[in-house]
Amino acid sequence: METIRNYLDNLFASLPRTAKVSELKNNILSNMEDKYNELKNQGKTENEAIGIVISEFGNIDELISELGINVNSDTYSQPVVTQEEVEDYLKVKKVMGLQIGIGVFLCILAPAFLILSSVMVENGVLFTSLKGDAAYIPGLILMFVLIATAVGIFIFSGMNFERFKFMEEGVSLPMGVAASLKKRHEAFNPTFYLCTIVGVCLLIVSPVTLFVSSMISEEAEDYGIVVLVIIVAIAVFLFISAGTIRESYEKLLQIGDSAPKKKKEDKVIGAVAACVWPLAVAVFLFLGFVYGLWYIAWVIFPIVGILFGMFSAVYSIVTDKNDK
Amino acid sequence: MISSDVIRGYNDTIILYLLLEGESYGYEISKNIKELSEEKYIMKETTLYSAFNRLEANGFIESFFGDETFGKRRTYYRITPTGLAYYKEKCEEWELTKDVINRFIKEWNV
Repeated sequence: METIRNYLDNLFASLPRTAKVSELKNNILSNMEDKYNELKNQGKTENEAIGIVISEFGNIDELISELGINVNSDTYSQPVVTQEEVEDYLKVKKVMGLQIGIGVFLCILAPAFLILSSVMVENGVLFTSLKGDAAYIPGLILMFVLIATAVGIFIFSGMNFERFKFMEEGVSLPMGVAASLKKRHEAFNPTFYLCTIVGVCLLIVSPVTLFVSSMISEEAEDYGIVVLVIIVAIAVFLFISAGTIRESYEKLLQIGDSAPKKKKEDKVIGAVAACVWPLAVAVFLFLGFVYGLWYIAWVIFPIVGILFGMFSAVYSIVTDKNDK
Repeated sequence: MISSDVIRGYNDTIILYLLLEGESYGYEISKNIKELSEEKYIMKETTLYSAFNRLEANGFIESFFGDETFGKRRTYYRITPTGLAYYKEKCEEWELTKDVINRFIKEWNV
């Protein structure tokens, strides 16, 4: 059997190692293996069996011309992945979507808890035994614990995902897998749209908590802010977890935002995001600690969010135009 | 043994015929060809897989992974409705070809 495998390896050595070719090779090998085993069972000797199997192989040129192999084509330079790898990738990506969703949820929730505890301290509900500013400390600690947990989750899921990173650079999918991925991508659309619609509705409705609570009392208004932030956090969680699953299909199929052209854009926007968001956090902490503006400093996040959204939209449109 | 030049145009038809009964995989098909032709025709691996590739590209057959048997996962093929229509066309073509060629074949009594 080793002889047959070597024979096939040698014949295929000159062909590009694409998904299609390697699948074809595996199929042919399995075919030859079946034949070999049956010949052996019929009482043929090792040499006879190998001889017959190899003589019935045919001509590799026939396959090459049939496949229309073109070594220069772009798809052939992409790494080949197996169906198992694709399944693993989708599984890990789904979990990662949930993890990042939870992490961001915690990050958004963290200032909400700070506001909540500050409000409760001011209203004399919480930590009444602590003197002066010390009463605010538990809220601050809670905020940092939440953020630290979120960062931990980010790092953990990022490390988990490391081995699949290459799959987002564009891969060559085995026959059949691409088709079934397309079907699953489409099948996921209703869920994705539902999550997006619910998320957007939540965002639109969220200010209502402010109006309603301000009608009740000034004290209630402070709690209203907390509810608003929680609603926003839920919406963002929905966007991220549903978006990541959809993205995982699109990355593999190289469509939508993951089409080759879009990738460059992603990188620029990502780089800007990496500067802007930590800066926003720094400003938030600065305003809070130095000026004690905790009650209002959080508006930096929605403001930066909107500005950033505008930037990435404008950037996409401008680069789109340049490409045309 | 038949020369592969003569039979070339009908390899696809032979494979489609064997898929009419139901889905099958590479070795089973090549074994059936050998048995049905009483070992007069043995389809080479490269011919078989070139044909699979061509038939799938034309939408005449579909491939899918079968269940694992003895630790081996096979690629199975099944015929599509377009494939069936193509097969019928080929059958008609063969009837015509046979009729025409027969007119030029002389029976020799050795």
